[in-house]
Amino acid sequence: MADSSIFWLRVAAVLYAMGLLHSMLAILKRRNDFYGFALGTFRVGVVLQGVAIVELAMAEGRLPVENFYGTVNLCAFLIALAFLFVDWRYHFASTSIALFPLVFLMTLVAGMRQPAPAWSDVRVRDAWLIVHIVLVLVGYAALLLTAVSSVFYLVQERRLKSKKSPSLLEKLPPLGTLDDLISTSMGFGFVFITLGVIFGVMWAYIELGTKWVGNASISLSFLTWGLCLAMIFMRASAGWRGRKAALMALVVLGCGALTWVAHAGLRPTLIP
Amino acid sequence: MKLLITGLSHHTAPVEVREKLAFEEKSLPGALDRLCQRPGMVEGMILSTCNRVEVAVTAEESSDAANSVDEFLAEARSVEPSWVSPYLYHYNGPDAIRHLFRVASSLDSMIVGEPQILGQLKSAYMLAKEHGSVSGFLDLVMTRAFNVAKRVRTETEIGSSAVSVSYAAVELARDIFGSLSGKRVLLVGAGKMAESAARHLRRAGVSDILVTNRTRSRADALAEEFRGRVVEYDDLACTLPDVDIVIASSGAPHFILTKDLMQGVINRRRHRPMFLIDIAVPRNVEPTVNTLDGIFVYDIDDLDRVVKSNLTARVNVAEQAEEIITEEVERMMLRLKSREVTPTIVSLQEQLELVRMSEIERVRAKLGVLTPQQQEAIDAMTRGIINKIAHAPITEMRRKANDPEGIQLIHTIRKLFRLGEG
Repeated sequence: MADSSIFWLRVAAVLYAMGLLHSMLAILKRRNDFYGFALGTFRVGVVLQGVAIVELAMAEGRLPVENFYGTVNLCAFLIALAFLFVDWRYHFASTSIALFPLVFLMTLVAGMRQPAPAWSDVRVRDAWLIVHIVLVLVGYAALLLTAVSSVFYLVQERRLKSKKSPSLLEKLPPLGTLDDLISTSMGFGFVFITLGVIFGVMWAYIELGTKWVGNASISLSFLTWGLCLAMIFMRASAGWRGRKAALMALVVLGCGALTWVAHAGLRPTLIP
Repeated sequence: MKLLITGLSHHTAPVEVREKLAFEEKSLPGALDRLCQRPGMVEGMILSTCNRVEVAVTAEESSDAANSVDEFLAEARSVEPSWVSPYLYHYNGPDAIRHLFRVASSLDSMIVGEPQILGQLKSAYMLAKEHGSVSGFLDLVMTRAFNVAKRVRTETEIGSSAVSVSYAAVELARDIFGSLSGKRVLLVGAGKMAESAARHLRRAGVSDILVTNRTRSRADALAEEFRGRVVEYDDLACTLPDVDIVIASSGAPHFILTKDLMQGVINRRRHRPMFLIDIAVPRNVEPTVNTLDGIFVYDIDDLDRVVKSNLTARVNVAEQAEEIITEEVERMMLRLKSREVTPTIVSLQEQLELVRMSEIERVRAKLGVLTPQQQEAIDAMTRGIINKIAHAPITEMRRKANDPEGIQLIHTIRKLFRLGEG
């Protein structure tokens, strides 16, 4: 029964991935065409996740919250339920941009409670790692652009507010242009970092089995991803611009730099 | 041939003098006719704007062109020569070319760098050209003046900043939004300056103009003019979140756009930037609205400060432009000198050949019948003489073609050998 619980959980993660896809499209294309489909798969995912939890509870004879995977699973399920309630009661669909990716990643992690088979080929293992690194670095490059554009935005905004026109600052692009650049680079940064995190988590899971969860540098990666998600959400929902956006972008970039430093010795750390 | 510019401008004459000297557009063809018919005049062109009246002519060296143009101006505008002469300036030769280049490049304008003068100069030139009063030397100088003006605009930032309140508002809107295409403007009130700013914004690409005014008929008229639509004055608050730029010029004695109101508006816009142009006196927008994130408030004094700052910047840029003008005047002078050398050499050779032939003709009777060999020897000898005479002046003219005194040398040689005007 525990095996079938893992199966339903992984199917739920695949269904939640449609929600992640919706968020990415909404961020990059600023379109919500995919929302209806993603919401449908999300609902089915919630049902299957519920089934997985009930099955596991019946198999273990208690609520499965005795370890990290169990609590993450239950937490993801509750967040998903809360979202469905809010959406049904208040039609507050904009939270889906943040909650769909969050629930997906939490469910993905929860589905890794049983060790996976080892790498069949060391070349696949190395290629997987390289793809992860490239995705994350592209994401960081985009975040760097976001941070620089945000600082320029701040400077230009202050210049316009103070009603002064020093010649050097006049060369900065208009606020509208900087705003577009921030949105685009932030969107690409989030997409690449999310994909990088997914690849990284799966690599660590196959490489280290269930022990990867305790790795501090991986936790730091999750923190960076979470901040990036929060930044995207605050911009999309509350329209964060100017000072707040610049500060947030710098924090995310700083956290990304720390994550990079923490992963500097990736191979010796992860390979026993 | 000499180039002369006679005129008056805002630098030398008050408006009451300028308006008396100004030519109506329809009177210009007749005036050009009368100008070119004056003794010694070769080409002529008249530039008449609200800030200057200038007559550019090319005239024969021997003519008293300056007096002639002064008389022409006085006659054409029916004023006493003694009344107008204190306001007139005269530029000759290189100074005239420099002045023309400066006028075309808008360095001599009341608002340095304004673009209208180039268009006005081009119109004056086209009229004179169509009329046949510009065809040679002046044509060359004018064509060069237009190129110089283009170079000044391209290589300096003389025209890049706004120097009118309305245009300053457009420039600021561009600094905020980048492209103005797709942006929505709301006119609150219907003042003249607001109308002008809206017109500039429309030209800059704003797609949608809304008008609200306490007097409905005035709002209807404005909306029709800008192909926009009227918003009921009572619906102002609920319209604001959909608007990117507000031009407030209402005569209301209190603030219409308060901080509390605008806080709600910017929240509903999710902090997308908003530009409030307050050109009303007393002001329509509470000044503290500018402290809200995402809202930029500029009142009439702020816009005026932007204009003054831009004007100062233009004056600084003008120094760069003056360097270009100096370089271009020198280049033009060199071109004109080289242009004069070749015809002078040809004239000199023709003149000497004429002298040689007439002298041979004069002595032929005294020499009797000559054999072909003798005839050939005389031709060779006389040709040798004139070639030796011409050698030194020709060599010197070619050598000094690019020197400043080259023109003087050409004139001297023309005078010495009686080569006439070329």
